Amino acid sequence: MNLSDRIDKLMSKVLKPSRYLGAEFNSITKNPEEVDVRYAFMFPDVYEVAMSHLGMKILYHTLNKRDDTWCERVCSPWPDMHKLMEENDIPLFSLESRTPVKDFDILGITLQYEMSFTNILSALKLAGIELYQKDRKSGPFVICGGPCAFNPEPLAPFVDVFTLGDGEEAIHQTVELYKDWKKKGQTRDEYLLRAAKEVDGAYVPSLYDISYNEDGTIAANTPKAGTGAKELVFKALVNDLTSADYPEKLIVPYGEVVHDRIMLEIFRGCTRGCRFCQAGMIYRPVRERNMDTLLEIAEKLVKATGFDEISLMSLSSGDYSCLPELAHEMITRFMKKRVKISLPSQRIDAFLKDTLKETQKVRKTALTLAPEAGTQRLRDVINKGVTEEDLIRAVTDAFEEGWSAVKLYFMIGLPTETDEDVLGIADLAEKVRKCYFSVPKEKRSPGLRITVSASVFVPKAHTPFQWSGQLDRETVRRRQKMLKAELNKVKGVDFKYHESDVSFIEAVFARGDRRLSEVLVKANELGCKFDGWTEFFDSEKWAEAFQEANINPDFYALRAYGLDEVLPWSHIDSGVSMEFLKREWEKAQRGEITHDCRKGCVGCGMKRYGGTCE
Amino acid sequence: MRAIFRFGKIGRLRFVSHLDLQRYMQRALNRTNLPAAYSLGFNPHPVMSFASALAMGWQSEYEVLDIKLSETMSAKEALKELRSALPEELPVYECRLVDDNHASMMSLVQMSDYRITPDQHFEALKAAAREFLFSENVMAIRKTKSSEREINIRPLCVNLTCDETSFKARLMLTEKDTLKPDLLMNTLMKMAGIEDSEFSIARERLLGYSKAGKLLPLMEL
Repeated sequence: MNLSDRIDKLMSKVLKPSRYLGAEFNSITKNPEEVDVRYAFMFPDVYEVAMSHLGMKILYHTLNKRDDTWCERVCSPWPDMHKLMEENDIPLFSLESRTPVKDFDILGITLQYEMSFTNILSALKLAGIELYQKDRKSGPFVICGGPCAFNPEPLAPFVDVFTLGDGEEAIHQTVELYKDWKKKGQTRDEYLLRAAKEVDGAYVPSLYDISYNEDGTIAANTPKAGTGAKELVFKALVNDLTSADYPEKLIVPYGEVVHDRIMLEIFRGCTRGCRFCQAGMIYRPVRERNMDTLLEIAEKLVKATGFDEISLMSLSSGDYSCLPELAHEMITRFMKKRVKISLPSQRIDAFLKDTLKETQKVRKTALTLAPEAGTQRLRDVINKGVTEEDLIRAVTDAFEEGWSAVKLYFMIGLPTETDEDVLGIADLAEKVRKCYFSVPKEKRSPGLRITVSASVFVPKAHTPFQWSGQLDRETVRRRQKMLKAELNKVKGVDFKYHESDVSFIEAVFARGDRRLSEVLVKANELGCKFDGWTEFFDSEKWAEAFQEANINPDFYALRAYGLDEVLPWSHIDSGVSMEFLKREWEKAQRGEITHDCRKGCVGCGMKRYGGTCE
Repeated sequence: MRAIFRFGKIGRLRFVSHLDLQRYMQRALNRTNLPAAYSLGFNPHPVMSFASALAMGWQSEYEVLDIKLSETMSAKEALKELRSALPEELPVYECRLVDDNHASMMSLVQMSDYRITPDQHFEALKAAAREFLFSENVMAIRKTKSSEREINIRPLCVNLTCDETSFKARLMLTEKDTLKPDLLMNTLMKMAGIEDSEFSIARERLLGYSKAGKLLPLMEL
């Protein structure tokens, strides 16, 4: 029986077989005999999550435009399927052709969150690929990109090449290099050496030596002599998003996925400079896609997919420079086709209100706001450029326009936080409630619902808060409890908060170094996988893994890193300078804000690289 | 006017659930130029229905989709449109246009023909099938989402024959009386004393009665 038939035999035994079918409309099939490079693109989580990821859609599209390359998708099999695959000797396979991943030329893996790291180990094992890069003699090169590649060290021993930054051009360079490397019949090591020199944003971890001080901190991250590897690896940067590749067709899944709609990336980067936000730093500078291009793409995608909803994607869509015009044009253009447009709700300004009234097509889903902190003092510390007045105005407007549900997002454990700051969250919720009742009864919609969500702050590499330790779990739990009690006094509030144990492990890896790779191996051996899913996360197993590896997790999660310390990612350059980050960290301690850089350059360091900021 | 399509569900796509297929067809419809009529209300959706739900994992060459159109067009054109929006494993075989007042395809279904191919133990199963056909009462437990009930399934099997590899079964498929082919097979397996054997199921035809009381394939009604 061939592999595909053997997979089919399992389909009646698993939850949601549609996760493993492939063959969706607009998925791409080529003749393997007619391509030079077979590329497996993996998202290390379940299909429904993977298929909601815009980056994969962009890279799948741009690779498959090449006649010489066939890119196929790979997702983590859900634990039920994983078990059956092991029992029946079925290796990890691609969705399109059901080819074993081991038979591909390149395995690209996107690193979206730290809690997916164990899934990468599971995937390599299931694929039958050597876990450690140094042991690989054949099989695909393992290339990892995405935001977590900006602190790649915990995964370093398992990965051939990390690619930092924008992928739509660099991914072609890895493919071109592969073709040339194969033609010349070079060794695996030669591919790595060449990648380090020839591919934008490529970091080859095996070409670096890491030395440590007696106290366990890092002494130096040094490129190995004679390899030509760079002391500082700068990310790949696509300066003109309007002319960059964007899919004109999207795969239409059979089952329901998380984001079941057209995603339209209107710009990349963010100018706000919130000090906790990694995305806001590593995706700099802001690059907008031109409005006419966006409309053109949207038309094509609606036709090619049949989706009935488009959402505008970016880190802060309200900041798009011609948002009202874009929104107006999209709403009027797609109304006839019954396509809904999801707009960033915090920017319902006058112009937009008229458009919405005109069409009466807007669905009043919950208004979502992210004040992040409960007091103005703490909002200034984190440089969240919103005041209480801004918030009150936004919710009052929304209530007057007929909204009755508000979601408020906060973090607990931000640097300098006190009990008062946390209690301030309840205070804000109460003010929002009052706003609702200040709107005349005949004007407002019935049924006020306020949802307060509080996640636990995780310090991330390449942000001004990278030196901060995470708040210890005991205090986090105490403050969560305290806030819960306080919010109980505010009627109509639903409080949701994160399990602090998960955030703790996330913090370990977010600021971790190469020695943590051993913990990953142990944890995965103990059965840790799908750690981002509460039903699978197992705090005790993690504790056991740290113990077996003889590593103290507090050293990474809780310790404040010294300003002069060599950071595990000191050889990685996100474009934002260390000087800027230090300056911001110091300003944070003083509670000083830094303005949005659309209002004038704040000197983050991006100017060194030209492009938009030049 | 309504367009009635007969399509197949084959290959890997036999594992798409009925609910997923409904949503998928709605999107497929958006990709075509078929002038579907929409329901009224706050969240309008195209007026369409399937003659019968097919269980996950079964193949079929006789699925029937009934779509209401707001404008007229030829059957040939409609067929071309729907074909353009579906993958190979959802092949569209034919299209027929009917008036709005034609009975709904769903209400016409009476029986279904299946081809059932056991992976093994075919001889033993054939013997069990003979015994089944000569019995007046064969009790089996029918499970639904809400209940479990023992019923006599023998009268629900209209016809049961076989060729070299497969059984061919004509089974009742109405709201009141339904026998699913997997229940039939599990019963035969039990009679033959076979445990845990696999079989594949393909729907070959849906049937209903004409006004003159003649049993005909659904597309001819």
